[in-house]
Order: sequence, then C-alpha cells, then structure tokens
Amino acid sequence: MVKAEKKEQSASTHKIGIYMWIWGLLFVLSFFSYMVDWYNFQGMLRWSLILFFMFLKAGLIMAFFMHLFWERYALVNVLLWPMTAIACFIFLMVAEFEYTLFSRAFYFVVGGGA
Amino acid sequence: MSDEYDNNKSYQAQSSETMGGSAPASPDMDYVRPAETPDQELYHGHSFITKWVFCQDAKVIGVQYFLTAVFTGIVGLILSWLMRLQLGFPGAAGFMTAEHYYQFVTMHGMIMVVYFLTALFLGGFGNYLIPLMVGARDMVFPYVNMISFWMFFIAVAVLMASFFVPGGPTGAGWTLYPPQTILPGTPGAGMGILLMLVSLSLFVIGFTMGGLNYLITILQARTRGMTLMRMPLTVWGIFTATVLAMLAFPALLVSAIMMTLDKILGTSFFMPTILQAGEVLEYGGGSPILFQHLFWFFGHPEVYIVALPAFGIVSDLISVHSRKNIFGYRMMVWAIVGIGALSFFVWAHHMYVSGMNPWFGFFFATTTLIIAVPTAMKVYNWILTLWRGNIRLNTVMLWCLGFIVTFVNGGITGIFLGNVSVDVPLSDTYFVIAHFHMVMGIAPLMVIMGAVYHWFPLVSGKFLDEKLGKWHFWLTFLGAYSIYFPMHYLGFIGVPRRYFEMYDSPYMTSAVGMNEFISMAAFIVGAAQFILIYNIIRTLKVGKKAGQNPWKANSLEWLTSTVPPEHGNFGERLPVVHRWPYDFSVPGAKDDFITQTTPPSEVVHTEVEKT
Amino acid sequence: MSDPQIEGLQLKPGFKGMSEDTGSDQTMFKGVHWGKAMMWIFLLSDTFVFSCFLISYMKGRGSTLVDWPYPSEVFALHVGGVSVPLLLIAIMTFVLITSSGTMALAVKYGYEKNRKMCGWLVLATALGGLTFVGMQAFEWTKLIEEGVRPWENPFGAAQFGSFFFMITGFHGTHVSIGVIFLFIYAYKVFAGHYENGGKRGWFTTMKGDYVEIEILGLYWHFVDLVWVFIFAFFYLW
Ligand code: HEM
Ligand SMILES: [Cu+2]
Repeated sequence: MVKAEKKEQSASTHKIGIYMWIWGLLFVLSFFSYMVDWYNFQGMLRWSLILFFMFLKAGLIMAFFMHLFWERYALVNVLLWPMTAIACFIFLMVAEFEYTLFSRAFYFVVGGGA
Repeated sequence: MSDEYDNNKSYQAQSSETMGGSAPASPDMDYVRPAETPDQELYHGHSFITKWVFCQDAKVIGVQYFLTAVFTGIVGLILSWLMRLQLGFPGAAGFMTAEHYYQFVTMHGMIMVVYFLTALFLGGFGNYLIPLMVGARDMVFPYVNMISFWMFFIAVAVLMASFFVPGGPTGAGWTLYPPQTILPGTPGAGMGILLMLVSLSLFVIGFTMGGLNYLITILQARTRGMTLMRMPLTVWGIFTATVLAMLAFPALLVSAIMMTLDKILGTSFFMPTILQAGEVLEYGGGSPILFQHLFWFFGHPEVYIVALPAFGIVSDLISVHSRKNIFGYRMMVWAIVGIGALSFFVWAHHMYVSGMNPWFGFFFATTTLIIAVPTAMKVYNWILTLWRGNIRLNTVMLWCLGFIVTFVNGGITGIFLGNVSVDVPLSDTYFVIAHFHMVMGIAPLMVIMGAVYHWFPLVSGKFLDEKLGKWHFWLTFLGAYSIYFPMHYLGFIGVPRRYFEMYDSPYMTSAVGMNEFISMAAFIVGAAQFILIYNIIRTLKVGKKAGQNPWKANSLEWLTSTVPPEHGNFGERLPVVHRWPYDFSVPGAKDDFITQTTPPSEVVHTEVEKT
Repeated sequence: MSDPQIEGLQLKPGFKGMSEDTGSDQTMFKGVHWGKAMMWIFLLSDTFVFSCFLISYMKGRGSTLVDWPYPSEVFALHVGGVSVPLLLIAIMTFVLITSSGTMALAVKYGYEKNRKMCGWLVLATALGGLTFVGMQAFEWTKLIEEGVRPWENPFGAAQFGSFFFMITGFHGTHVSIGVIFLFIYAYKVFAGHYENGGKRGWFTTMKGDYVEIEILGLYWHFVDLVWVFIFAFFYLW
C-alpha cells in the first residue's frame, strides 16, 4: 500500500508486554473456566460463570490479538452491527426450543389434548 | 444535497460547489486530494484462454455470469411452460406425471431465485458495473473473482446433472422442507436432493469469493473524489444486496450441510420419529422446524438480494431517462440500507402455518409491516422523480414504468400476507404464487430488461432495436399481468399451490377457463423473450452505432476511454469525481447533464447541487 | 494498529473519525490493506456460519426429551485409574491458546521486519495447530471406540453425537486449512518473500508484504475464538 502507511506500520507495533499480558490472561481465564467444571458448579452460577469467562476471553482475543482495539471505529462498527441479527436469532430460538420442548412433553409424554 | 463538510481546505475542495453561483472560478476549487493507494496493476491475458475463458477482467466475468444465468433462466422458463401446459390443459403433456410436476416446480423455483436472478444481478451486473461505476480499474482480487465464476459454473453443472441421475432432480419444492425432502416417496429423494445440496453449497462458496470482491472494491477502491454518497444507486443496491448475501448464505450452507448429513449419515438434525407404511424409521428426535428457521433466515434476505439491486438500477434508469435528479437521493440510500438491515428480522413471516411458537406471529407481523415503510418511500421517490420530468418514453423507460406497476401490485399483496390472520387462509394458495411472482419475479425481471436495453450500448457499442424492444415490452408486460392477475382470484377461491391437477374439485369446474387463459398467456410471454435474443443477435450484426455516452448520462461507466471499455477501464488516468451522478437539467448549465467528472470551476454559474 | 498517515487528510479519533472516514472518498477503512479488509469481511461471514451451527445445537439440545449426555463425563480421561474430567479438552485449549500467542507475536515481529523471529513464530504456530488436530483425531477415535456415532450413542440423545462430530469437524477443518497455510507462509517468510519490496505472490500481481502475516493471523485468531465458544457451549455447558 502507500509508502506513508508502511512507515507508519513498522513504527506502530506494540510493546511485547501487552501481548504477554493478554496471553497470560487467556491462560488464567481458561483455567478458571475449567475450574467451573472441576468444582462442579451447577445452575445459574455455572452458566453465568461460563458465559462470563467466555466473553472475556473472546473480547481479549478480538481486541488485542486481532488488533480491533487499535483499529479505527469505521471498521469496528461494521464488524459489530451484524451481530444484532445473530442476537435476535439466538433470542428467538431460545423461545422456539422452549415451545418445542413444551409441545413434545405435552403431546408425547402427557398425552396431549386427545 | 447540502453537506456540512468542515471548512477544512481539503474537504472544501472536495465538496466543491459554488457558493451562491458568484464565486470566481479558480483552479483551487477543483482540488481533490491525492490517491491513497497506488494504481492497481493488472494481469493482462494474452491467449484466448486467459482472455475469454479463465479471464480476470471483471467485465468479461460479468458477461460470463450473465450468459450462464440466462441459460439457467431459459431452463427455468421451459419448466414453467411445462407446468402451465399441465395446469391449463391437464394431460396435454403426455409424459408428465405428478412426480415430474413436483420436480419441475422445485427446479423452476430454485433456478429462478438463486441461479438466475441472484447470479444475474450480483454476478452479472455487479461484476460489470461496480468497478466502472466507482472508478476502479478492476475488482480488487481479479483472480479470486475468476474462480468465483467457475465455482458458479460448476454449481450450475451439478444442478443440471441432477436432471439426468436415476430418480431425477429433487421434487421437494424449492424450500426443501424436511422430513419429506429426503424420504422415499418424494421424487428425487436419492441422488437428486444430494446434487441439489452440493450445488447450493458450491454456489455459496463461489458467491462468497465474488461477494468479498464486490464489497472491498466498493469500500476500499473507489476513485479520487468518489464518496459513498456520490455513488450511483445501482452500486448502493448491489452493495447492500451483497452484504445480505454474505450474512444470509451461511444459514443456507449450514442447513445444506446438516441435511446432507441427515441424508447420507443418518443423523437426525431435522428428522423426527417417523412412521412410514407402518414401520418406524431409524430417524428420531430431530426438529423439522429448525430447518425452516435456518432456511428462511437465508430465504427472506434472499428476496431482498434480488430486489435491492433492482431498486438501485431502476432508480438510475428512471433518473437518466427522465432527465431529472433522483428525488431524495439520501432517503433512497438509507431506505436501501434500512430494508437490508430489517430483512434479517422478518424471516418467520414465511412460517405462520408451520407450528412454530405462536407468539412469533406477533413479532414477525410487526417487523414485516415496518419494512413496508422504507419500501413505500422508495416508490414515492420514483414517482416524484418522474413528476414533471422530461420523460423519454423509450424502451428503457417503459420497463421502468412496468416495474413500478408490478412492484406496487406485489407489494400490496405482500402487506396482506404479512398479517397472520390474513395469511393463514391464503398461505399455500395461488394468491401467494401471484404475490411473489409479481414482487420478486416479474418486477426484477422488468428491471433486468430495462438494464439490458440501457447498458447494451455500453457493452457492445450498439443500440438495441427500439421497435422490437417495444414489442418485447408490451407482450411481456400485458402477458405477465394476464398470468398473475387472475391468480389472485384463484387464491381467493382456495386453489392450492404445488398441485399437479385439480381433478373434480370445485376449483376445477369454476376455473377451467381461467387456467387455460393463464397458460396461453404464459406461452406467449415465454416466447416473447426470444424477441430479445433475436434483437441482440440482429443488433450485433447490423445495429446502430451508439458512440460515447449515448444516453447522456453522468456516471463513470459512460466516461471510459473507449466504448466498449477495455481492460483497465479508464485508459491512462483514473477519473476524478467532483459530484453525484444525478446532475440533470441543472438550471444555468449548457447541457442538460453534468458528468461526475466535470470540475466545479466549469459550472460556477449554474445552480448545481452541492454533493 | 494506530492511525495511518494519509496525505491531505487529517484523521480524527473515535466516533467523529468514524463518520468522517465513512463519508470520505476512496476508502472507508483508512489505511487498511485490501486483503486485510477482505479477511475481516470473510470472518464476519464465517461467524454467521458458526453461529448458525451453534444456534442449531442450542435448539436441538434445548428441545430434546431424551437426556443429553453429561459432557464432563463423556470427555473425561482416565489417568492412573482416576477419571479427570475434560482433561484432553483442557490440554487442547491450552495448545490452541499457546499457538494464538505465538501467532500474535509473529505478526508483531513481521511488522518490525524481523524475518527470523517472524518465521520461527509462524512455524511454532503451525506446529501448535498440528498438535491440536492430532489431539482432536485422538478424541474422535476414543469416542468412536466408546460407541459414539453421528447417528447414535450409548449415553443419551442421538443428537449429541451428530452435533459433536459436525461442529468439531467443521472447526477442525478450519484448523487444518489454517495449518496448511501457516506452513506455506512460514516458508514464504523464511524465503524472504516479504523483504525488499516483496515478491509477487501466485496468481496475483500484488507484491508480498508482511501485512499478509497479519491477515493470516486474523484467520488463526478467529479459529481460536470459535474454539472459545465451542469449549464453553459444548464441553462446559
Ligand atoms: C413466465 C414466467 C413464469 C411462469 C409462467 C411461472 C410459473 C410458475 C408456476 C406454474 C409455478 C408453480 C405453481 C405451483 O404449482 O405451485 C411457479 C412456481 C414458482 N416460481 Fe415461477 N414462473 C415464472 C417466472 C418466475 C420467476 C422470474 C421467478 C423468480 C423469482 C419464479 C419463482 C418461482 C418460485 C420461487 C416458485 C415456487 C416453487 C415452489 O413452490 O417450490 N418464477 N412458477
Ligand atoms: Cu420474506
């Protein structure tokens, strides 16, 4: 690409420390999420911990390893908006599986309206 | 198009226009900041193979896409003839059994939606027009682009091969709903459906390669001065449609993979416990409705993948041929983007009778009716563009007017069907057939035809014959109306879709004449399309030379160094853009058009829009 | 990376910068290489693929009447007579994160034009990926020996095996493709294709540049990212 940019890029790499930190954090977080299983947490506590560590890890990878933290907002913005469609899909499919479960239980187990 | 650019020097130069018409012409006001990226180096083919077969020039690839798509379209057309023959005159096509009919319905639907319209708009028009319209030398990754076409070609070959395998092509309906799709009893449940799924997967992979090219070319390879808000609406339409395709095709791919596994490995993703002829099958525990959700998460955006490029193209055609700027350019852009975004939140309006969670009807009816708002805005804007325009009633304009009429018609029935309580009795009847043929069959087809008459002089350097064109238009328009308008009535009296024959049902007795009439019209409309093919062949031989910018349009594709444009599009230097492409009939200007490359200093004394 | 310098244009930070970048001519992502932009958009599309897989899995698991097998036990390893839950998966996660770290460093050294370091790190990443694929093959073999099949399994709902093989298989395919490219690019770095203005790649007129390592890195981190979600939803949930 442009000359100016190249010069820029080689000057702008980040200190090695930041990568080491993130790397370390990823190991620690993975260890924690493994511990969720090890200590056999159940119910809401289990699920919220799993999700919490998962999003934290995903966020760190995207922000630092994939450099999104340093990218200009124009790119970040374009990448994050489409996730609303996925969020909507997930949300509705939760409602859908509950309904399917209900109708299966109702018709196959309880015996339905018949 | 007022713009609040900063008074920052470079921006001022870029936004360019006269301040009240009195500013003196100075060379400074034409300043556009330098290019960010160096000129693209192109690979020039030398042999016949690298120039015309494995060609990396987006224009040639566009034509290849176009021709392949038209070929599949003709296959789809012939299938529709056969179906209409059976429906109008039961038994007239001696060999046709109910199985054949289902296979023809399925292949017709899938071909028309995916392999014809999608490939034609995005692969054909997208490839040809995007680089030209944004002022690029080519797509950003010409090699990948070439592979994209050949993937599509293989996908088409696989699809066509399914006509010749034992059992024939799949007859499951273009929606491919499990569980019947892969069970014996459905025609083509063996090889036919497998080839269909493979072909769709290949199509998705090939399209992804092309789509990345279109997007990055538009986002990252525009010429100097070309802002997003100076792009022709054609590019906006194709751009948004490509975004939809990139995000919707994954759902199709996933459902195709899962169904393939159900078929060949015996998994039960979509297959519930099934009793067939008294025997319990191996399948069990799967969810057919999951497939429907995945399919329509793809399927509804797909509708707009076909519609949005048509919206964009027709806006440009209307503007050029009525010599007026497009009414509400920004509104048009936001409407396209808004429709695109909303289209991911309405999919289950196709599933009102599927047995999904009953609350969904409320959600999806609401979102569906919301999407009608930006759509209606676009229709008003087309009409307001025509309003008091200097309309040239040539063939191109006729197709545009035909589009508006058919689109409004189909759009209104869409609002009917978007409401759960109206859809429940109408779903799976001919009312639905009439609706979607109007809105996504005939309407985009009208635009394609208009676009062909409009851009043919660019691609070949010659005008298509107007007289033949008018015959072509009137036969198609009146004929298509004769086909689909009566179908609304058939739907109201309850004639179900996807039926091979009505036998002695009341429909049969009361609608015999109507069905015969529709079929006759379908034969005529189909045949009328060959007028275009004849016209093209004749024009290539003896057509009138068009020369540069024959329609006196403003956008960059008409400003190439040669007509037809050569590889690299713009000769030595890329064009520099100073304005939007809609400066028609500007008061004070010497011509009734001001091209996008006209610098501000040449139009200081006109009332040109600031863009 | 931090903001590029562009002649004749003053880039602004934050949301103001976002709207100006979007409204400007030529490019929307200022200073972003074509290939990098393309990789990002591709990954976005691929995100939708994996999301659809995982959503299907959610729908399948959520609505089953038959008990879903307990992953913690199914995926346990017996070490010295004790059953350690999810041991293999934990190691696989460890390996993948390690390779992600080496990849991130490879990108950094690439931009610093440190050919040796960059090359070794890409190679290390490739080896990490290879180890991961190997362990996955081991995991598949073990499950198949225990009678888990795509269409049935001895532990409960048949869909368990279906989703397991499909999703990890699709992810594994991504890893394998990544490994192949990592080896190729390790060679290219060592061979100096990105030095002195760059060598032309295959099938393209573009000159090589270390930005290609970043592009490759994006893909690799994405594969890791997907694993984070699979780990959480499939093994832990
Ligand atoms: C002269 C032009 C056309 C004629 C005469 C025609 C005729 C038909 C007929 C007779 C059916 C089957 C109705 C049934 O039995 O359920 C059908 C279905 C269909 N057509 Fe067309 N068609 C034409 C053009 C198009 C175009 C341009 C499209 C593009 C969107 C299209 C898309 C479809 C679809 C999606 C189906 C549904 C297939 C299914 O039920 O699985 N058609 N058409
Ligand atoms: Cu829809």
